Amino acid sequence: MSSTADKVRSALEAVARAPVPAEDDASLFDAGVIDSFGLMEFIGELEKRFGVRVPDEELTPRKFETIAKVAAWFDARKRG
Amino acid sequence: MTTIAGFGHCLPEDVIDNAALSAEFGVEEAWILSATGIGTRRCVAPGETVGDLAARAALAALADAEMSATDLGAIVVGTGTPDRQFPGVSAEVQKRLAVPGIPAFDIHLASIGGLFALATAAALCGQYGPVLVIGAEVMTPVMAREPRVKETAILFGDGAGACIVSPGDGAVTIDDIRIASDATFSDALRMDFGGPLVMDGRTVILQANRKLQSAISELLARNGLSPSDIDLFLFHQANLNLLKQVGGALGISPEKVFVNLDRYGNTSSASLLIAMSEAHAAGLFRPGTRSALAAFGAGMGWGAALLSFK
Repeated sequence: MSSTADKVRSALEAVARAPVPAEDDASLFDAGVIDSFGLMEFIGELEKRFGVRVPDEELTPRKFETIAKVAAWFDARKRG
Repeated sequence: MTTIAGFGHCLPEDVIDNAALSAEFGVEEAWILSATGIGTRRCVAPGETVGDLAARAALAALADAEMSATDLGAIVVGTGTPDRQFPGVSAEVQKRLAVPGIPAFDIHLASIGGLFALATAAALCGQYGPVLVIGAEVMTPVMAREPRVKETAILFGDGAGACIVSPGDGAVTIDDIRIASDATFSDALRMDFGGPLVMDGRTVILQANRKLQSAISELLARNGLSPSDIDLFLFHQANLNLLKQVGGALGISPEKVFVNLDRYGNTSSASLLIAMSEAHAAGLFRPGTRSALAAFGAGMGWGAALLSFK
């Protein structure tokens, strides 16, 4: 597990509405971990911890569906 | 200076409560309430039209303003659910008010139509005189279209709100109003001809949350104000959870956020104008105070306005 994924998982655990799946590629929506309103809380928590504002045009649910996708997005931002 | 000379609204009498929806969709009433904050919605009677609701709201606003329809310089109606493709709801209202010769037109936008109509009226009234602004929607027949989906069926209700925007000074002034659109995610909330309302709820909520926050933040910044300078916030009554999230993110005290969606549901483009009319009738627009309005809707569009009261 990458350190970015660890950080994402930790942010998710702060707002999760159900147990967070062990697999990084499990759908957080299907598992009931975050609902429509929880998604905004999750993004807010990520922004706080990573110190990055997710631009409005990047706010698509698919990008935040799994821990792996979220970690990949923040890693890509870091690489610039 | 631009003033609002009068407010009015009209809600149909029939009620759809959570018990009926609970039975239809096999979900708990408590789930509907917690997911939306909505307890009841109003519903038009058979044969009752969006034009009927719009005209009644218009007459109430004219009475509140102590004006005659012949004083009007224009009519602007925000709606996503006109009775027909054309002519618009505005034509029906103009006919019923018997005021030929003034411009009357619809702004065909769902949820944000009321605020766009208000902004358009503020821009027009200096040239045309008092503008009748209406937000009117008949959502329940749309929600009856198949496939009927619980996530949207539980949200919407019918109604109309109205106000008269006039040039000059008055007890209620519009100090600032801005609107904006961005079609990047426009397909996330749409309704094709004859089809059901289609909503990608996650995308809509993400965008609504951000745009409502930025609309209010930018409005306050432009006017050198902070949330604590505002006495009452009136948002498009979309979903109580959304209002709580936006209010929380902006640091707004919950008691400063006007809520009537518990009784009427989401009345789309009518909701902001109904909220304004109810707040006015309840005496919440107190002299020496300020209100901020904000809405978000299909398109996607958003905006905010600053009102002050003398």
